[in-house]
Amino acid sequence: MAFKHFEAIEKHAGLLGVLIAIFVSIGGLAEITPLFMQAHAVKAPPGVHPYDPLRLAGRDIYVREGCYLCHSQMIRALRFETERYGHYSTAVESVYDRPFQWGSKRTGPDLARVGGKYSDQWHRLHLMNPRQVVPQSNMPGYPWLATKKLDAAEIQASMRTLRRLGDPYTDADIAGAPAAVDGKTEMDALIAYLQGLGIKNEPTPTPAAATAAAGTGGAP
Amino acid sequence: MSAGWSWWVMSLIVLNFSVTLFLFLWGPRAKIPTLPDGTSGHVWAHGTLREGVRRLPRWWLLLSAGMFVAGFTYLVLYPGFGNHKGALGWTSHAELARDVAANDAKLDALTKRFDMYTVEQLAGDPQAQQLGRRLFEDNCAACHGRAGKGNQLVGAPDLTDHDWLYGGDGKAITTSIHDGRGGVMPPWASLGEDNVKNLAQYVLSLSGSPHDAARAAAGKPLFATCAACHGADGKGNQAIGAPNLTDHIWLHGGSVADIERTIGGGRQGHMPAWSPRLSGDQIHVLAAWVYHLSHEHDVAAQ
Repeated sequence: MAFKHFEAIEKHAGLLGVLIAIFVSIGGLAEITPLFMQAHAVKAPPGVHPYDPLRLAGRDIYVREGCYLCHSQMIRALRFETERYGHYSTAVESVYDRPFQWGSKRTGPDLARVGGKYSDQWHRLHLMNPRQVVPQSNMPGYPWLATKKLDAAEIQASMRTLRRLGDPYTDADIAGAPAAVDGKTEMDALIAYLQGLGIKNEPTPTPAAATAAAGTGGAP
Repeated sequence: MSAGWSWWVMSLIVLNFSVTLFLFLWGPRAKIPTLPDGTSGHVWAHGTLREGVRRLPRWWLLLSAGMFVAGFTYLVLYPGFGNHKGALGWTSHAELARDVAANDAKLDALTKRFDMYTVEQLAGDPQAQQLGRRLFEDNCAACHGRAGKGNQLVGAPDLTDHDWLYGGDGKAITTSIHDGRGGVMPPWASLGEDNVKNLAQYVLSLSGSPHDAARAAAGKPLFATCAACHGADGKGNQAIGAPNLTDHIWLHGGSVADIERTIGGGRQGHMPAWSPRLSGDQIHVLAAWVYHLSHEHDVAAQ
């Protein structure tokens, strides 16, 4: 029967490779495709708004400086994570993140809910030189952020691009960007972004309330 | 997952399972045309390499059969086959809830016991100290340091002394942790550079630190403005977190330059509220640890 084809498959590496690829892709087609398509269908819930101009600029700096290489923004549904970082992350929280900053590596702590945990002044000292506040830290300093001013035109361009991708920025939002970032440094933007993490993007009911309801933040 | 995608996943799983299972069952039984020398007749490298035909090894058959059984069992028990929830009804969120409940149950007796004590009483409890220390290192150490010695750069007070900005009893400490604190000292650069220097010398004189007596005398009348918060005698006001200026403990540094900067530029202290992150029980234990830090020697003496 089919044996006569076997010789052809065995002896032609290209054909063998193509057939293997087709069969192996079944796994990806079953696991990746549905989630990929569904991810595009995730809609922002009430309470989750697109980044305001200053935080949007901060997010771009976060990406540019490669913060995601050491910090994740994904609290997994495991007790030892929720005890330390708070309620587990949900997909809707990063609906306006392009690309999302979930990450997979933690040299430093997870930052998904770092907003409000420290004061602005703490973040400033920490970004200038982390050893000023955490003596044993191995994070590099980012002092140049304090001297570079934000470019409003770039942020407006970024907002217009995001609007084309579907983020609901209004003309007024975009027109108001230069005023919102006037005189601000990259350091200010990054701190504003960090201070909003887990607070400004949390859907209602708040994760804190959900945590209490689930007993996650229960007795120590 | 929508029904359409559920069908998509299920079809692919069925396709994969049928093809591989068919090959697995058919392979050992297949009658492969064999040449008299026991090879299939497929040759490589002009006959140097020939393909032998042998029975599949038993270990391979058993291993593969085991994988089919494992894969099938998994899809029956756990979510994976389209929208099938799995016979066990397992979800990661339910497992988390179980883990949290189990942990709460384990700590329940301890929590109930802790609730019976005031912060001051709890400070000497070894189990409360163990929990409190861990909570402190995870949450507070970033500003106050692991030992609670504070950090003048960020304006985080030393918690190991007896000098308190907002009061050092259990209730005040609990409030500080629960609601956070915001300390605002307005900038006084408008007084003029010389007056700021004079005031700084006067502030140094309050604690008996080395100072320029002439400048201190000149700054003394200006201190009336400062007295609104720090008190006429400079002893501070715990109701608004105004530091005591008559001791040698400095929140933002006690050098002449530091004090001049504090007066000229003002200071903003910000301790975040921990009620959104920590439970009431956790704050209770944490307050006990902070109380313990400043009474370590007294408590040990008891």
